[in-house]
Amino acid sequence: MLGNDTRKNGLFSLGLVLAFALYFLPGLSSDAYAKEAYAGQAFAEEAFAKEVMAEEAVEGEAEPEIEWGQDVFYKDWEGNPLKGPVSGPPAPDLGEGDYNNYEFAPSRIIIWIANQQHLYFGSFVLAVPIFCMLIEFIGIRTKESDPIMSEKYDRLAYDLMKVSLTAYSWTAILGGILLFTFITLFPGFFKYMAGIFRPVMHVYALMFLAESGVLYVYYYGWDKMKNDPFLKWVHCSLSVLLNLIGTVLMYLANSWATFMQAPGGIDEQGRFLGNIWHSIHSTLWNPVGVHRILGNIVFGGGIVGAYAAYHYLTAKTEEERAHYDWVCYVAMFIAIFGLIPLPFAGYWLMKEVYAFRQQMGITLMGGIMAWLFIIQAVMIGLLFFGANSYLHNSMSRVKGSHRYMKYCKYMVLLLIVAFTTWMTPHTIVMTPAELKAMGGAQHPIVGHFGVMSAKNTAVNMMITCTILCFLLYQRANKKINVPWATVGNCWIAAIFVGASINIIFLGVYGYFLPANQRVGLSVPQVSSTLTTLFAGTAINISMFKDSESYGDIQWGTQSKVGTYAIFLLAISFTWLMGLMGYIRSAVRLFWHVTEVVRDNSVDAYTLTIGEAGKILTFNTLFVWVQFVVVFWVASLAAKKTTEKAPAAVPVPAQQQQ
Amino acid sequence: MNKTFISFILFVGGLLVFHYGIFPIFMPKEPTLFLNRYVCFLLMAAYLIIVNLTLRLKPPISLNALMVWCLGFYFYKFVLFPPVPWTLFITYMMLWSIGTFLYISQDAETFREFRKPIVKVIVGEYKLARLVIFALLPFLVGFGTYTAIYPKFEEPVELRTVHPAPPATTKVHGKSYVLETARNPFRIDEQDNYQDKFPFLDADKYPYMKNVTEGGTVFFQNCHYCHGDQLNGLGMFSHVFNPTPANFIDPGTIAMLRESFLFWRVSKGGPGLPNESTPWSSAMPPWEEHLNTEEIWKVILFEYWYTGWHPRTFDTEESYVGQWEKEGKPAGAH
Repeated sequence: MLGNDTRKNGLFSLGLVLAFALYFLPGLSSDAYAKEAYAGQAFAEEAFAKEVMAEEAVEGEAEPEIEWGQDVFYKDWEGNPLKGPVSGPPAPDLGEGDYNNYEFAPSRIIIWIANQQHLYFGSFVLAVPIFCMLIEFIGIRTKESDPIMSEKYDRLAYDLMKVSLTAYSWTAILGGILLFTFITLFPGFFKYMAGIFRPVMHVYALMFLAESGVLYVYYYGWDKMKNDPFLKWVHCSLSVLLNLIGTVLMYLANSWATFMQAPGGIDEQGRFLGNIWHSIHSTLWNPVGVHRILGNIVFGGGIVGAYAAYHYLTAKTEEERAHYDWVCYVAMFIAIFGLIPLPFAGYWLMKEVYAFRQQMGITLMGGIMAWLFIIQAVMIGLLFFGANSYLHNSMSRVKGSHRYMKYCKYMVLLLIVAFTTWMTPHTIVMTPAELKAMGGAQHPIVGHFGVMSAKNTAVNMMITCTILCFLLYQRANKKINVPWATVGNCWIAAIFVGASINIIFLGVYGYFLPANQRVGLSVPQVSSTLTTLFAGTAINISMFKDSESYGDIQWGTQSKVGTYAIFLLAISFTWLMGLMGYIRSAVRLFWHVTEVVRDNSVDAYTLTIGEAGKILTFNTLFVWVQFVVVFWVASLAAKKTTEKAPAAVPVPAQQQQ
Repeated sequence: MNKTFISFILFVGGLLVFHYGIFPIFMPKEPTLFLNRYVCFLLMAAYLIIVNLTLRLKPPISLNALMVWCLGFYFYKFVLFPPVPWTLFITYMMLWSIGTFLYISQDAETFREFRKPIVKVIVGEYKLARLVIFALLPFLVGFGTYTAIYPKFEEPVELRTVHPAPPATTKVHGKSYVLETARNPFRIDEQDNYQDKFPFLDADKYPYMKNVTEGGTVFFQNCHYCHGDQLNGLGMFSHVFNPTPANFIDPGTIAMLRESFLFWRVSKGGPGLPNESTPWSSAMPPWEEHLNTEEIWKVILFEYWYTGWHPRTFDTEESYVGQWEKEGKPAGAH
């Protein structure tokens, strides 16, 4: 029943590769030119405005009384700050009266929790439509070759959408709570933000309306548009529209956060310079957007995976076990595909942060936030361990996998060596006695692992290893029959060996280069890793043509360790998202808007690591309680449907044959 | 005899022989390429693999896991030298333990096989083992508790920020410097052009080397007592300080920083550190009270020239030497 995986896997992988290419590559390539392009555009706008004003002055119709301010971020072609007409009041000097608070908790903690909960749910409801789009598309494509599997894909997409619908309302409620918290506890700051982002806020609200409309048509029209092939395509297209609107929504909301961290479109006094696009499209907007899209996919995959894993462990029938095992597989497949490029998006974001302010970069990576980054390194390692553990365990239950299982232990060894390098801090916590025993602050051997050359090499090797594991999993039950099988295998081996040599060589070479050139080495390292992902997957899938199967994947036989790995992944994602969100936001230190609006509240301090950890853990637990409730609410509808349609419906006599 | 038992005996015996018999041979006063502790460890690992393969012992996964874990422990505890601090040791062992777990749990079959002896001990199939383990457990917990609560008089460890974020501006000798844009006025040429030149000898021929010579003179008059005559942080007074003086040879110190960062640090010293870096636990004096601005910039120039590192630059200021040539004067101070 669940056979014929070759074609489906191929389509699935190809769909995911294309989807990521669609999101990721244009984002990366476009941003390199974006600032210059927009600076150029803005320069032209400024010149045009001056021209018009000069004409008006000549005509004598109106004396130009517009004051010009210098942008804090954008520059013209000559590198001078871009000028714009002052179109708003200066940033307020906030005082005691601009903040409200409750007795039971500091305002900062309350807004943090409100924000984080909204973001968690927002992330989930933005990720699910991406899954549904892909799964429904695969369902349509496989309808002719495997109608049973096609129906299964369609049903899965529908079930996910059902959960998402409940979560969607929940997200809106949490958004309302966040908004009220912001207005009531930080009225002075909100007034300033609303003054600049007023039009964006209205567009955001309208987009929310559009998102709701498309979502309802998409969900409630599912059954009606299911059977007609044309309508089904229309229905699938609606999911694309839904994702587009969702992405715009997220980018609009991102602009407020990125403006607060790295403002643009205002002068040093915080006065708006008339171009809202400059305020939206500040320097971190694109990297944060791409990072969040990938993060949402991983997070959503983690949640759906955990939901399926729970049902898998508690399933009472074989069929149920098989179904949820398969759902786990689909969710993990998507999550791991999102996880692989995620660190690169993170590097891009950090590069932009450093480029914006060295001070901010050092605060993050070497200053007061550095220990949180070490915790982040631990969490990322856990994610890769969990992902690989799941892949190994999944592969083991596939017939024919014995050919590759023997390599697992070597891949684990490589992962551990790479992660040991990744985890070795530059500044080691030690007692004075240990310091003396070591002969200095740096260890003569492992001390070399503390710098970025080693870290980049380690993380790229970890990702490459995970990709290799994934490719082996893909081909575990296949006997390759294409005539060019040997050549194909040689190519895959050459790509992986070549990429590994390149990554390690560049890592070592980095020790002999100045820092600014060393940073540039991360690009070919990442390219090597991405080559293994894209070229390796493409060759691997091409080799599945005419392949024989050693046997279907035996769904429902996943080991318990593999299933628990999914829980580990889901919880790690949640905690890690909270951690990185906190770091990104807290790096502003005592500013609401960096270097423009000072935080003069009593909460303008940086939390200790322990206190931050407690809030992060609370946020994680709290959101999972809510997810459990949301899934339970969604399951009520499912039970109702089952009760309404029992297995043996009595057939009226006149219809009996 | 049971093959598993033979394998276990060979493992324990081999470990003892290597540790007490062979290891000292591999630790001469001057280690060579082949006669060093790491080669000895590799030989020990090779011995274990070869002896199990040649005797076809096929140890069960649980014994394999034990051997793998012990090898990791042995490496981090006894082989890696100088010994790593306990925080790092714990970290490494945690990772190694996770790796061992991934190895035994890679599929349901290996995990089942791994659990088998544990389950047999618990349910009483291995009676003697159960008796010994369950009798030892309380003692183990007791010992752990004893060592945990036994008073220690070591200085506590602290999470100190070594490279704090610099302020936006710093005021030295009455002038305000924007650290984002401040540059070393004596970096008038590419330092790589002078790697084979000598201070003093070439000082008269090249203005750049003159500045390096003057910076070096300042360094050896004031800084080398702590930072060392090889700039490796091992000066004659370095061992009495905690934290120890910075090691400029290390790629994680000045190689990662802009010259303006160093200018700020040298000028303000320990007392000028922000709170996150515990200003009271750095002994470096604020050198602005002893050196003039030019001397500070020159000593920074010397540090980079001597170590061969290049100061950190970002894309926008990559070619600032060329820019000065065009403009005719250095920027930064205002």
